[in-house]
Amino acid sequence: MLFNSTVFLQFFAAFVLLYWLVRGSLRARNLLIVAASYLFYFWWVVDRDFTFLGAYDWRFLGLMVFTSLFDFAVGLGLDRLPDGRRRRWLLGASVVANLTILGVFKYHGFFVASFTELLGELGVVVAPRTLHLILPVGISFYTFQSMSYTIDVYRRELPATRNLVNFLAYVSFFPQLVAGPIERAAHLLPQFERPRVITRAMLEEGVWLILWGMFKKVALADNLAPLVELVYGNSVFTAPAVALGTIAFAAQIYCDFSGYSDIARGTARVLGFDIMVNFNLPYGATSVREFWQRWHISLSTWLRDYLYIPLGGNRRGPARTYANLLLTMLLGGLWHGAAWNFVLWGLWHGVGLMAHRAWSSRFMNQGSRFAAFAIFSWALTLLFVGYGWLLFRAGSVDQILAMTRALGNFSTPPWTGSFLINLLAFIAPLVLMEVWQAKSGDRLVALKLPVWARTGLQGGLLLGIVLFWERKAAAFIYFQF
Amino acid sequence: MKSHTCEFEPKDLLRRLAMPLLPMAVFAALMHAGALVRLLPAPRPTLDIDRTLLVHQAEASRARHDADVLLLGDSSCLMDVDAKQLGDQLGRPALNLGTLSYLDLNAAAALLRRSVVANPDRLRAVVLLLHPEALRRTSPEAYHVAVLKNFLDGEDFMPGTTGRDRLSTFLGLEIFRARLLARVLPTPLPGAYGRRYGFSAELERHLTEHHGSAIDPDPQPFKGSAEYRLAPQLEAASRAFRAAVPAGVKLFVGITPAPEGFVRANHRQLHSQMLRDLSGWLQAEPLELPAELPDHFFVKTTHLSEAGACAYTELLARQLEARLR
Repeated sequence: MLFNSTVFLQFFAAFVLLYWLVRGSLRARNLLIVAASYLFYFWWVVDRDFTFLGAYDWRFLGLMVFTSLFDFAVGLGLDRLPDGRRRRWLLGASVVANLTILGVFKYHGFFVASFTELLGELGVVVAPRTLHLILPVGISFYTFQSMSYTIDVYRRELPATRNLVNFLAYVSFFPQLVAGPIERAAHLLPQFERPRVITRAMLEEGVWLILWGMFKKVALADNLAPLVELVYGNSVFTAPAVALGTIAFAAQIYCDFSGYSDIARGTARVLGFDIMVNFNLPYGATSVREFWQRWHISLSTWLRDYLYIPLGGNRRGPARTYANLLLTMLLGGLWHGAAWNFVLWGLWHGVGLMAHRAWSSRFMNQGSRFAAFAIFSWALTLLFVGYGWLLFRAGSVDQILAMTRALGNFSTPPWTGSFLINLLAFIAPLVLMEVWQAKSGDRLVALKLPVWARTGLQGGLLLGIVLFWERKAAAFIYFQF
Repeated sequence: MKSHTCEFEPKDLLRRLAMPLLPMAVFAALMHAGALVRLLPAPRPTLDIDRTLLVHQAEASRARHDADVLLLGDSSCLMDVDAKQLGDQLGRPALNLGTLSYLDLNAAAALLRRSVVANPDRLRAVVLLLHPEALRRTSPEAYHVAVLKNFLDGEDFMPGTTGRDRLSTFLGLEIFRARLLARVLPTPLPGAYGRRYGFSAELERHLTEHHGSAIDPDPQPFKGSAEYRLAPQLEAASRAFRAAVPAGVKLFVGITPAPEGFVRANHRQLHSQMLRDLSGWLQAEPLELPAELPDHFFVKTTHLSEAGACAYTELLARQLEARLR
């Protein structure tokens, strides 16, 4: 089910009503969350072009139930066993099971194709059988979420839950099921175990987040998408076209993904839950490192805690630190999708983080007190992240090469004026809101407006949503990951 | 165990949800009132390819121009003939008011009448060009007819078939889209049209620069049935069209080509027969244009490529040159 679809609005209205009706029992309410989450997940079939057909498919649901049950059982085992080899084996089983599912469904085709191509280069022609599997929606998100639970239990940072319903609800919680934020058990699981308090402020915050998130997706991201397609769907490029298309994509992916995260947080807030902040004004970052502290925070902190630090982090000397950074970001890129452009994107950011680390260890704090330096750093970071988006969005390595070569061709496309008008129209609301939030230091600053102004602002957002609400809802970009 | 505590009343929730509806109601009232008292500009719904083409051709039909040869017809007229090239070759300006095959001869007649009113005593010849695909169509598409009619009448097009459409109309969104949004924001065109033209504004610019002609940039495999015939309804429509042609203005009619590899073996005979009947109903001079052309001249069954249009325009110019002397 897509947030930006009429069926979700109907589903959510019915869910809130039922949620209200079963307020007398925590267990009943958590069961309702599980049932609703499974219905939410079950409600679609995705075809190979990642078009949502609006039907349902039980097989994907079975996969999620299996992951949940397996990790629940592993958690119980890890809790009971004393430290030692058997415990390590049990954790290994969980990690292997999760990564195997992810590997088979997400990476099998990619690795087979890449291997076949490599053999072809060496003169060995093979015609392997591929499984032609469709990627289950949200698999990367719930697998990581479930895996973090068993790792935390293994590390004794968290006691294993003995309540299956609560654990199923934790893995499948519908607001953040298919595109995050990737929650940690230590944060979300206890919220299913204790009575929830829903205050008027939480309600205000929830409604605001849903409206702003929906506006970013429906009114901004979905209107930026055709601009991006105009450039990236072409085969002939020039520097101004590549620059404009990439700026549009940078805004589109941010509005799309942060829009989803806001709707997820808002929906959860209305139900009395707190979900972690996933984006914190990332395009205001003045370094690549800071960008990753502000962009997809739930993934970057996951990679930090479960990959970078276990690899040794920065504790084993500079060479190992750089290698760890590169490997973490490479795998982070691959997490996004089974394609070479995501590998390159991950490497690009890995190299960026390495360069930043090398720079800051030599010239720590030098010049950073000057405003001009901060502006220069900000512009450089935007350029760096922008080229990263080119790697991310391009359809193939050939396209990356063609677009990169085109950066030396400065001829202006005839549609530049029309493109700029559209770009400004659909970026301006985002920039204005983010500048306001950054200046006030409060992402919920809009809630501090007088009632009349807040009403006007929220009415404007609702109008924008209704105006651009599509008959056939456009899927969120991160659903494919 | 009790699952939660709500520190608010249900009326708080309702008020919270109802608050943003107030500005929407004000917006709807403003839009409808603005349209009613004509405070807002007239609708100009260039919101997709079809509507951009229709709006451009409708505006061109009522604008002052110096063309004394007017091309009318379906999308094959629009895409297969370059009016600028034709004018250059004829030595007299030509204007293409071809639209879409979803419309019928009544729509073409409406455009012709407006052009004659806006440019009295200017016109020397009308060239009607239709594709065999359009000739067998029994009725036009109600949607396209309504879009053109409403635009020519300066009224908003209010689709009302679904609940969503009705809500959109009620909230004044259609008024906003057609009267304000489309005037300020050029619409990005999808697919091949986007790659060729970019936005609606650039498509309009191309149409203006090429005297109303366009190029179909979207190659597609030949498809459909090659069993062509004249729809019975065409006879009455042809006579009505004839009535719209001012006295003293020559009327020519031609049937645009289909791909050689697509049509049936008897297509040439069929083409001649259909042209004879059609020109009889229209009381028009038939144009002896090729019934079929090599496949490589086409982007789809109904439209020629840029090179195909260039060659076809030359053939048309040769036909008209002698007859317009």
